[in-house]
Amino acid sequence: MNNRIRPIEKIYMAVIFLFMYAPIVTLIVLSFNRSKSRSKWGGFTMQWYLNLIHDHEVLNAMANTLIIALIATVVSTLIGTAASVAMTGMKRRMRSLIIGVTNIPMINADIVTGISLMLLFKVLHFDAGFVTVLIAHITFDIPFVMLSVLPRLKTISPSVYEAALDLGAEPFFAFRKTILPDLAPAIISGALMAFTMSIDDFIITYFTKGSGFDTLSTKIYSEVKRGIRPEIYALSAIIFVAVLILLFASDRMKARSARRTGVVKKGMNAKLKTYGAVAGIAVASILIIAMALVYGGVFSKNSDQVFVYNAGEYIDPEVIELFQEETGIEVVYDEFESNEIMYAKIASDGAAYDVLCPSDYMIAKLIDNDMLMKLDRSAIPNAYEYIGKQYYESATAFDPANEYAVPYCWGTVGILYNRNLVNGPVDSWDILWDPAYKGEILMQDSIRDAFMVALARRGYSINTTDPAEIDTATADLIAQAPLVQAYVIDQVRDKMIGNEAALGVIYSGEAIYTKRENADLEYVIPKEGSNVWIDAWVISREARNAENALKWIDFLCRPDIALMNFEYITYSTPNIAAQEMIEDEEIRNSAVAFPDEETLNRCDTYISLGEEGDRLYNEAWKKVKSAD
Amino acid sequence: MSKELIELKNISKSYDGQLVLDDLNLVIHENEFLTLLGPSGCGKTTTLRIIGGFETPDQGQVIFDGQDITSLAPNKRQLNTVFQKYALFTHMDIAENIAFGLRIKNKTDQYIRDKISYALKLVNLEGFEHRMPDSLSGGQQQRIAIARAIVNEPKVLLLDEPLGALDLKLRQDMQYELIRLKKELGITFIYVTHDQEEALTMSDHIVVMNQGYIQQEGTPEDIYNEPENAFVADFIGDSNIITAVMVRDELVRILDVEFPCVDKGFGNEKPVDVVIRPEDVELVKRGEGRIPGVVTHIIFKGVHYEMEVQAGGFEWLVHSTREFPVGTEVDIRVDPFNIQVMNKPASEDEQAIGVEE
Repeated sequence: MNNRIRPIEKIYMAVIFLFMYAPIVTLIVLSFNRSKSRSKWGGFTMQWYLNLIHDHEVLNAMANTLIIALIATVVSTLIGTAASVAMTGMKRRMRSLIIGVTNIPMINADIVTGISLMLLFKVLHFDAGFVTVLIAHITFDIPFVMLSVLPRLKTISPSVYEAALDLGAEPFFAFRKTILPDLAPAIISGALMAFTMSIDDFIITYFTKGSGFDTLSTKIYSEVKRGIRPEIYALSAIIFVAVLILLFASDRMKARSARRTGVVKKGMNAKLKTYGAVAGIAVASILIIAMALVYGGVFSKNSDQVFVYNAGEYIDPEVIELFQEETGIEVVYDEFESNEIMYAKIASDGAAYDVLCPSDYMIAKLIDNDMLMKLDRSAIPNAYEYIGKQYYESATAFDPANEYAVPYCWGTVGILYNRNLVNGPVDSWDILWDPAYKGEILMQDSIRDAFMVALARRGYSINTTDPAEIDTATADLIAQAPLVQAYVIDQVRDKMIGNEAALGVIYSGEAIYTKRENADLEYVIPKEGSNVWIDAWVISREARNAENALKWIDFLCRPDIALMNFEYITYSTPNIAAQEMIEDEEIRNSAVAFPDEETLNRCDTYISLGEEGDRLYNEAWKKVKSAD
Repeated sequence: MSKELIELKNISKSYDGQLVLDDLNLVIHENEFLTLLGPSGCGKTTTLRIIGGFETPDQGQVIFDGQDITSLAPNKRQLNTVFQKYALFTHMDIAENIAFGLRIKNKTDQYIRDKISYALKLVNLEGFEHRMPDSLSGGQQQRIAIARAIVNEPKVLLLDEPLGALDLKLRQDMQYELIRLKKELGITFIYVTHDQEEALTMSDHIVVMNQGYIQQEGTPEDIYNEPENAFVADFIGDSNIITAVMVRDELVRILDVEFPCVDKGFGNEKPVDVVIRPEDVELVKRGEGRIPGVVTHIIFKGVHYEMEVQAGGFEWLVHSTREFPVGTEVDIRVDPFNIQVMNKPASEDEQAIGVEE
């Protein structure tokens, strides 16, 4: 019987392990992938790991994580152990009551714990940040320490402690000499557990952190929401391995402690000391690394600050460093996932950030709602000296008097196609309706971009609010749906690099990058015209550090800085001086990065559609998606 | 009698509303081997822990050498304890274990070394200095626990069922060892046990306890030969405890048969209990004794035969070197001085007779 069941059991086990570990293995493999594409292996590289070392923000988040985990571990271990010992003196009913109460945070949904802590801190007027996160971590770590210490304590005979008292020892000395050595493995195991939980935690940290403060988990989360950099794979792999090691160590400790309760072996003492020493060294080195990482000054609260709210991956981190060095102004830098999220944040608290980088149509909305501050031109000379006149011209579409916004990046929307998979040159949106490419087409999963393609193809205005034109575009999109492989956003880039599709609608900034990864890819702005978009810096009307915000904008307009940024983010810069300084001739003259005037004249910026327009588009989009 | 060392005055103690000791009074003399004897739950260990300072009585006082030490911490008391389960410090070697108390008292290294070798010699474990406790047998560990206690030169050594975890042979050896130690050290031993044989073998003075009360105090001989109540009689050795009537002084009616005895002062026609030890029951030929009976059961115990005899409606336990096969018709005879007459308890409270063992 047994023998017949065995193979099934084995297969069952294998399937379980596959399900559990396949994602992690994928992650680790991708962290060594030279190509940024998720679907293409570009050879082995350590580059993403090396990049991490230079990523100030990630290092800062790592330092925060380690310092919080370490302090929380030490404090919760002390409190948890003391509480466990105190509980042995209690009557049984009281003890089980207390165990029940302390276990609640462990059983309770993290989100409830997180929100209730957040509310408590708000009520007590605690500024959300380092201290609140630390208190939260100590709170949820304590039960884990007790969970490890209590059972071990039960197996230790109190008569050993009494014997020490009997021989004249003071109570604390007696505890230290008798109970503590026996308890040590359980305490260390509990501490490792607490440390792991603290490093691991996301939800509670997320609710208690506040702006400008991140641990690794919240940092990774904010990055992931926007599409993932390969550096994050590397970071996640490191965290996975670190947590694995900690869990393993904690387990070994527990096994050791369990074995001690049985027949005690000679020489155990020495082994225990070795383990203690190893744990001590580990903790000490973590502390040293953490301290070394804080050089940026997690604790140094500079009064001279500027709060920056930018889209994700939209700046060279070194630029922030340089700004801080040169001006002495501390940059509190946060990233948003979409213009809409940014708008909600500023609408709820206009003073949360000083300087923002939204897109054209969103700037129009911010101006309409009187949420922006007029810029003091004399404070930002670079902005008017180096940014091309034509970009200010385009900006009048959303900022008619050029009073509020300084262009930062711009680009077009076009077709990215694979020369090997498409016959002949592409020059029209029509190709996206060609049945020959059924299942090979990628569309943008966003209302404006999808409709822009359909409207431009028909020769309509991409900002039309004419119901008849919208109806035609809708019908076209529904007709196109069977040909479309997928409606996606970030994945256009990866799928095209991986040769998974022949044609895709994409932003010009991504096109430069994809061509580097896959030389067969070409970007074209169709002859019918397209969208040209501009992201620009604006200052919140309620900004508390408006002067510093102006310095920030002016700094970014310096040609050398604009160049650094361009090379890092690959989106076209409106900075004429920077454009001229680009060393790579191919890029400097690239029609993708800097299309000629004739091409640009065919393109329009989006303008706000108004409430009625938004409603029409939303309904039409629903029809398209349900036909999909 | 030598001088009083410890006096327990009106000690009461309860746990979770359950009374463990009720108004206990006890005097312990210098250089005495005193044993607290009783079944589990009788309060003997609590009494010991109160003397040691590990428990504080709810009421009453502990007087030590004329001083009230009721609330003095255990580490300040001039006495040491040997625990039931040895309680050695498992992460220290033998020498470190023994030196523990001395180091706290800041004795010199030389003094400590001398004391360690003296103590190990005393407990016959020379050369064990650098062994770890868990490499020792139970008996050896207990001797180390004793050594660890006595190097501190306590005036009193408290022993809480120290031999309870050892096997029979080892237990007997250790009993002699403890008697020898007590003589060599010349200090007071307060010993807790539920084993009556252990108590009888070692003690100068036995205190029999049950349900928080002292049932009887006295020398081993007093306790064995003249139990004051049925509980003591039953607890100390095997006994025939029979309900009887004291007809008048020196005459008792057992199972409707009158026996001459030596006890006086119980009154006339008074219900009493009598105790007759099994070895004091004589089996004689039919017609030569007072109560006729039949042997119903016999087993050989080595030194003697243990028999059960049905006589006068009672099953008598009899020890005899002579063999009477099952079915033999016999008479029972008891010498007057072997009949121990005891008062019947008048109330529940006075009774406190669990008769558990």
